[in-house]
Amino acid sequence: MMRRAIPETLLGSLPVVLVLALWQGLTSAGMAPPSLLPPPAAVFSRLAQQLTDPVFLGHAATTLFRLFAGFTIAVAIGVALGVLATGSRTVGALVGPVVRVLAPVPKIALYPAFILILGFEHASKIALVAADAVFPILLATYQGTSAVEPKLVWSALATGTSRRKALFTIVLPAALPSVLTGCRIGLVISCIVVFLAEMISSTNGLGHLLVYASRSFRTVDMFVPLITISILGLALNAGFNALRARLLAGFPEES
Amino acid sequence: MIAIEGLSKSFETARRSSHTALADISLNVAAGEFVSILGPSGCGKSTLLYIVGGFVPPTEGTVAVNGKPVTGPGPDRGPVFQEFALFPWKTVLGNVMYGLLERGMARSKAEERARALIGLVHLKGYEHFYPKELSGGMKQRVAIARTLAYGPSILLMDEPFGALDAHTRTGLQNELLDIWERDRKTVLFVTHSVEEAVFLSDRVVVLTRSPGRIKQTVAIGLSRPRRRAQLLVDRRYQTLVVDIERLMDAPEEAP
Repeated sequence: MMRRAIPETLLGSLPVVLVLALWQGLTSAGMAPPSLLPPPAAVFSRLAQQLTDPVFLGHAATTLFRLFAGFTIAVAIGVALGVLATGSRTVGALVGPVVRVLAPVPKIALYPAFILILGFEHASKIALVAADAVFPILLATYQGTSAVEPKLVWSALATGTSRRKALFTIVLPAALPSVLTGCRIGLVISCIVVFLAEMISSTNGLGHLLVYASRSFRTVDMFVPLITISILGLALNAGFNALRARLLAGFPEES
Repeated sequence: MIAIEGLSKSFETARRSSHTALADISLNVAAGEFVSILGPSGCGKSTLLYIVGGFVPPTEGTVAVNGKPVTGPGPDRGPVFQEFALFPWKTVLGNVMYGLLERGMARSKAEERARALIGLVHLKGYEHFYPKELSGGMKQRVAIARTLAYGPSILLMDEPFGALDAHTRTGLQNELLDIWERDRKTVLFVTHSVEEAVFLSDRVVVLTRSPGRIKQTVAIGLSRPRRRAQLLVDRRYQTLVVDIERLMDAPEEAP
């Protein structure tokens, strides 16, 4: 496995290198004026410079905080409701229609309402992230838990475990591969939505930096937050995968 | 020990018609008796076992264990399934300890007892393996140890060796008899193999094809402890196998 991992990583970085090469080619061939599309070298040297600037790091930390707060709320609500919907017919009947109505609604449409209710600060952005990330987590948890082999649960009930306890100590862990797939999708959505929320209305965060730079026609500074959020996304995904591999140590290989 | 009275089970099929799986089953199993339920596939023999386990409610009739009517699963009846139903996120030790901890035993004492049981099923050294790292036969040994751990007085075995190759199967039959000889638990054993039923049981209950009714009960008067090599050349064993095979093949009289 280890032997295959290295060429796969190399292979995976190939498209990234190609995009960078294309970007460099476009700028050095003069097809795009540097004032509109700055060369990658300029952007990356600015990024390196910004990464030592406490103000920039403060904006990145704000974005990360909102991302994590929203994602954590989404995981807590999504997993709890998904498990309870499987465990109780009443909860299932209550949650089902609400999810079917709300899941296809573009959550960004709720953002003006969130701002009015929760204000311009953290709360409205966290609420938007949570509202967008909760649905894939809830749906994956519900599907995963309702597909758990009944004999696994019977094996637990036979020892005297109550149905309620088995729901959280047997059904939920048994559905963990599916739950984590939902969480991974939720995490990607969180990255996108937190940036979006900050672009629409914010006085801080990476999304705000991008909009602010574009409005002042500072194109180099426009690309820096963009690259920062994609690097953050990459790091979060790697961290999540490491956690997932640990949590799923006993499960057969899949997806 | 187990008293089954006038038991029937019907299912609602996908096409909304009712399908009778079991009809009018009455059977008494004495304490310490090893009884096999033998029948063609689809005769509802596993369903009968699930009803005794309290996992599935009967449509009609009653099951009582030690005079108490069965209303749900309980630690007096330990199931062993063909699919093993081990907890994939727990190690061998964790699986075997599960029931002990659920019964309220202290962790150190539970671990000691679990290790002894793992030794009993010849898996010493595999305590920290995950189920996915074991062969089918080893998985079933873990499942048997997990069930024996919390000390049920009745074992409910649902084609436990049905998914194993012939060699592993006969090996586990011998081990099961060895374990059974130590404390002579009451065993209800579902199988579709005539040889297996005759080799293991005191009594073999032959069911008809769907709906499953009791066709005939055959007492197996072979002395114990039984040795496979001796039995295979024993005239009485051979006659019993041939007679029961004929019985299973015989056309069913109209009820």
